[in-house]
Amino acid sequence: MTESKQKDFIQPRQTKVVKGNVATAYAAKSARVQVISAYPITPQTTVVEKLSEFADSGMMPGTQYIKVESEHSVMASIVGASIAGTRTFTATAGQGLFYMYEMIHWASSSRLPIVTAIVSRGVAPPWNIWADFTDVIACRDTGWLSSFVATHQEIYDEILMSYKVCEDFDVLLPKFVAYGGFILSHTSKPVIIEDQDLVDEYLPPLPDEKGWPHIFIDPERPMMHGNLIMPSGFYSEFRLKIHDAMMRAAEKIKEAAKEFEKMFGRSYGNGLVQKYHLDDADVGIMIYGDLALQMEQAVDELRDEGYKVGMVKLRHFRPFPIEDVQEIAKSVRVLGVVDRATAFGSPTGGPVSSEVKAALYNTDIKTPILPIISGLGGREVSLEEQKDQLKALVKMYETGELPEDLIHGTLWHGKLEVK
Amino acid sequence: MANGIIEISFAGRGGQTAVSASELLAKFAFENGFIDVFAIPIIGAERRGAPISAFTKISKEKPIKTYDSVLHPDYQFIFDTSLLEIPRIRESIKEGTILIINSKKPIDTTGLPENLKIYIVDATGICIEHRFMISSGGILNIPMLAAFAKITGYYDLKVMDEVLKREFGEKRAALNMKVAQDAYNSVKEVS
Repeated sequence: MTESKQKDFIQPRQTKVVKGNVATAYAAKSARVQVISAYPITPQTTVVEKLSEFADSGMMPGTQYIKVESEHSVMASIVGASIAGTRTFTATAGQGLFYMYEMIHWASSSRLPIVTAIVSRGVAPPWNIWADFTDVIACRDTGWLSSFVATHQEIYDEILMSYKVCEDFDVLLPKFVAYGGFILSHTSKPVIIEDQDLVDEYLPPLPDEKGWPHIFIDPERPMMHGNLIMPSGFYSEFRLKIHDAMMRAAEKIKEAAKEFEKMFGRSYGNGLVQKYHLDDADVGIMIYGDLALQMEQAVDELRDEGYKVGMVKLRHFRPFPIEDVQEIAKSVRVLGVVDRATAFGSPTGGPVSSEVKAALYNTDIKTPILPIISGLGGREVSLEEQKDQLKALVKMYETGELPEDLIHGTLWHGKLEVK
Repeated sequence: MANGIIEISFAGRGGQTAVSASELLAKFAFENGFIDVFAIPIIGAERRGAPISAFTKISKEKPIKTYDSVLHPDYQFIFDTSLLEIPRIRESIKEGTILIINSKKPIDTTGLPENLKIYIVDATGICIEHRFMISSGGILNIPMLAAFAKITGYYDLKVMDEVLKREFGEKRAALNMKVAQDAYNSVKEVS
């Protein structure tokens, strides 16, 4: 694979009206990934279709496209390709991600900088193929970095930034880039596909024949991979190193976002979080994924009505931006946290709101947190509903009281009446 | 029109190319200088003949931030007149909605709001005449979108030609444009 020639296929900067999944494929192309392995699953399928079209038509010279029979084999082949010292890419969703789950650990514990797009969908049963981040969040403790994406352009941009972070020798961990099924994957918007020369300049060079510094397949330098380690061996220490790399990745994410903004002119806050009208806000709302863009409009409209509301888009779930969350919670008087995902039996029922609460423990921050769960399984969340969520927070701020209709302390918003 | 954003709704049946119409309209408008466009297909268990919805939002000035579906469109495409019998579609038609209908003859407007502007174009007939067909029938999106160009001026045939050439190549674009030209010339107001 390292012998395959990376011929120049120069693509000038262009804006195309494309589906989110097509933006994903363009990002992989712009990143000059060398090995793709993928198995189609709704709503990720069009990523695979587009990538195979690119690979087949010669638009991705130097890229090997491996056809496999399942998601488990997808990650197995990607792990092998990455150990061999190549830049790799795949995409999956929901049940496909779960079928991949065992191999996901092989990727992170081998410290391989694999980038994987997750076109998030509800978890079956009952079958559901629409936006819900429970799938990617269920991989919380796998040692993969993970981020949520809110716009079509951000899909393309975030995949590029991810390679920069993951391939940093201080990080060397894989990453999920998640976006909502259908809401972003199958809708079309204008997306800027950047000039190839600039992307090449932004990203680290592709690995050379020697591959990654810590793991390789090379007869001249024989090494064993994934062998048994006794309890007295370095198992625990390897774990600590993964955690340490993950925590240090936060700074690398910030650097990558800063450099991205300088080079391409698009800002994503500090990379970990992106604030919107939060500086003078009494009431804040934290939200992630596709719901964040429309929430900006809800904030705009409530601002027009005279309410001092603001929002923060959570961009990274792992590493969790603990310091940013603390600073944001401190700066507002009431904070709502919207989850389009579930964490059954957790303190709030929502994965991110539970983490936000945990991040504030043992601090002097007493800002009340309102956990909100909204839009599960792709249920449409209208602009009006998002304004209602903000209004519930405003009321909480004005009266000092929690809303009445909470269930186990959480506002399950927009649910149907069940008799 | 919400916040200066033009909202367009497509009602078709599976196979009538309504979903690709929503995407093509976005591409045509963007090509013609709209600063933001957003095509939203409603995807579920699609099958030939089943009612299909899709939406397009286009904006000349402001970025489009809403992902929610269009409840009361400014423009409503009807690819198949039988869809007008579906309550959800009837109810979405508000006063001032402009209807673009694939039909040879004027439709029965009983029960619909007053002050509607209704345009008809015989898209199916034009497709059959030009043998502009796929296995499910005529490729209706091209004549319907050409009619839309005539009605709104949001883009013109030249823009359609440019985009289609880029997407499908010169030869296929040429056939598309013959169909488009016929629809452009023959769409008429009936209200």
